[in-house]
Amino acid sequence: MSIMEYNGGSVIAMVGKECVAIACDLRLGNQALGISSKFEKIFPVTDKLYVGLPGLATDVTTLKELFRYRVNMYTIKEEREIEPDTFAHLVSSTLYERRFGPYFIEPVMAGISTTPGGKVKPFIAATDLIGCLNFAKDFVVAGTASSKLFGVAEGLWEPDLEPEDLFETISQTMLNAVDRDAYSGWGTMVYVITKDKVIQRTLKGRMD
Amino acid sequence: MSDTVTLAGPQQRQFNPYSDNGGTILAVAGANFSVIAGDTRQSEGYNIQTRYAPKVFRLTDKAVLAVNGFAADGNMFVKKVKQRLEWYRHAHSKDMPLRSIARLIQSMLYGRRFFPYYVYNILGGIEEDGSGAVYSFDPVGSYERETCRAAGAAQSLVQPFLDNQIYFKNQVAAPGTSHPSHLPLSDVLALVIDSFTSATERHIEVGDGLEIFIVLARGAPIHGLEAIQGIQEMTSNAEGERVFIVRRVLKYD
Amino acid sequence: MDHHPMNWGRPRNDMADPYGTYPIPQRPMNTQTFEDSVQHTQQPIVTGASVLAIKYANGVMLAADNLASYGSLARFKDVKRVIQVGSSTIVGASGDMSDFQYLQRELDELVIDEITHSDGHNLGAKEIHEYLSNLLYARRSKINPLWNSLLVGGCSPEGKRFLAYVDLLGTTYSASTLATGYGAYIAQPLLRKAVEGREDTLTEAEAVKILEDSLKVLYYRDARSLNKYQIAKVTAQGVEISDSKSQDTTWGFAEGIRGYGAQTQ
Repeated sequence: MSIMEYNGGSVIAMVGKECVAIACDLRLGNQALGISSKFEKIFPVTDKLYVGLPGLATDVTTLKELFRYRVNMYTIKEEREIEPDTFAHLVSSTLYERRFGPYFIEPVMAGISTTPGGKVKPFIAATDLIGCLNFAKDFVVAGTASSKLFGVAEGLWEPDLEPEDLFETISQTMLNAVDRDAYSGWGTMVYVITKDKVIQRTLKGRMD
Repeated sequence: MSDTVTLAGPQQRQFNPYSDNGGTILAVAGANFSVIAGDTRQSEGYNIQTRYAPKVFRLTDKAVLAVNGFAADGNMFVKKVKQRLEWYRHAHSKDMPLRSIARLIQSMLYGRRFFPYYVYNILGGIEEDGSGAVYSFDPVGSYERETCRAAGAAQSLVQPFLDNQIYFKNQVAAPGTSHPSHLPLSDVLALVIDSFTSATERHIEVGDGLEIFIVLARGAPIHGLEAIQGIQEMTSNAEGERVFIVRRVLKYD
Repeated sequence: MDHHPMNWGRPRNDMADPYGTYPIPQRPMNTQTFEDSVQHTQQPIVTGASVLAIKYANGVMLAADNLASYGSLARFKDVKRVIQVGSSTIVGASGDMSDFQYLQRELDELVIDEITHSDGHNLGAKEIHEYLSNLLYARRSKINPLWNSLLVGGCSPEGKRFLAYVDLLGTTYSASTLATGYGAYIAQPLLRKAVEGREDTLTEAEAVKILEDSLKVLYYRDARSLNKYQIAKVTAQGVEISDSKSQDTTWGFAEGIRGYGAQTQ
């Protein structure tokens, strides 16, 4: 029994043109037994930054709160919102603190930052359960359906997708990947983050 | 004496008669054609043993078999299937029909139920009614006719992509229209090549070369096949079904 | 002492039955001692290390050292691990040397059978490789493997080259460069770099240099290797297996390095 597959669940993030998207499934299971179809794994960090936490459900809750605490402390001390790349390092160091007794979570982050010149920079990143950062230029995946997500994303994704096209791409990737994964599925949630709004949608998909 | 000697438990080391040689295979059935493909890398662990070891074999003019898993078992299995097909040809003066080859393969696999061939088989070709067909097997002979199937190291990468692009899973047709039940050959070839380049990108056991077999039903239009660069015909009897092979390079890393 | 007639010819076991006590100790009668425990090779015992082989312009060239190890002991230092089979084939073996000697006898028998047919047909490297593959695969299928990795090289009188591998599992493959054992990790990358794309232009001297350079690297890094080796070639003209030879090596660099030289601290 792998702890990483105890509750199931998957997250993926993708880069588009001046936008990013992040999606998760809604299943919470006890191994093969489905428990809930309302278990969200993506949480807002700032207005333009979201983090997905697939892995052991108890650690999802713990880390969500821990990140909220640490981001709040950062905001108070610095008197400004945390930047996506700074948050990625916060995630990394938080996980590495528990190097030899880790949280069983592989976080995925997606956000956009605006440079002082007004340029919009999409940002995605993921880490393993002990905080090894992966800044990808295209997409990052994690969770029990990760190999399926890799396969579909590698086939569907292309550079510079507009928000609605990016939404379609990440949605199709997620839906088709989780349909081939026994531990993921039972609903899908997608966030598309652009410089002036966040589109949040719950997808209709197979519920078996 | 004997009770003064303490012996450590007997050291047991079991010879493992199996190995995994990586690679991926894939087949798609069209209305009147079938496409069967496999990469040509053979590996063991992190070692690439060779960059060219075929996994896809022409059995007859209407049947092509792709074999993936333990290479020694795979080669022996193909050899035995070919032998049985030759015996059939001598006995009946014709090639065995595809569905019969499928049943033969199931019997041969199940015959080794208690010392299985560690091999995933995908059989592609043309049925007696002229339709394109794909049969997929597990190592002990469970089988099923399907429209498309991926197997091997990158099955988990490729199969959901095929679900989406061949079966149009999770796609809704525009109002008043419906999804095609079979794709044209050019679309299938493009998807097969995309599947393998994607799998090569993300899986270390996939790469080096790609061999795509195309089986055309008797009298089927040539679908612009002659325009494909490097295509070779392997048909033995010009009257019946036709078999072609297309080779492509994949990344070496 | 055990003088009982039932035990004549049996190994003495004074400890277990010092006086041949009465009643007569129960011994299995009319049974073969090892009948219920036939031993299969569970591990190789006396082993040969890497074999290297490449294709070159004139044919195929193969190299192996002359060492047969017994664990970490360099036990036999004049062992021929490359043999000629028929008129146009060479076979190099790594793994268990007793299994290899058995294979040599099988191959000799095969060649003799072929000669007695005198039908004008010759066993080529392809056929010998197929024979070895079938033999090794059949033995692995009986869970009684012949513990070897073999390279088979050949060249037909018309100049068609053949080079292939087969091992204890019956796994086969062919390529323009092959290596067994540690050679697969250490020498194969060097061979590929030197040979791939140049199979049809490499001269004999270049081929020898490539193999000898690789053997030297193996000698420096593989503790189960020996600086005494043979190089065999097979061309359209037939087979040539060299006498044993060695290369100059340099160990001066080791002087100041802890773990290499004579230092104890």
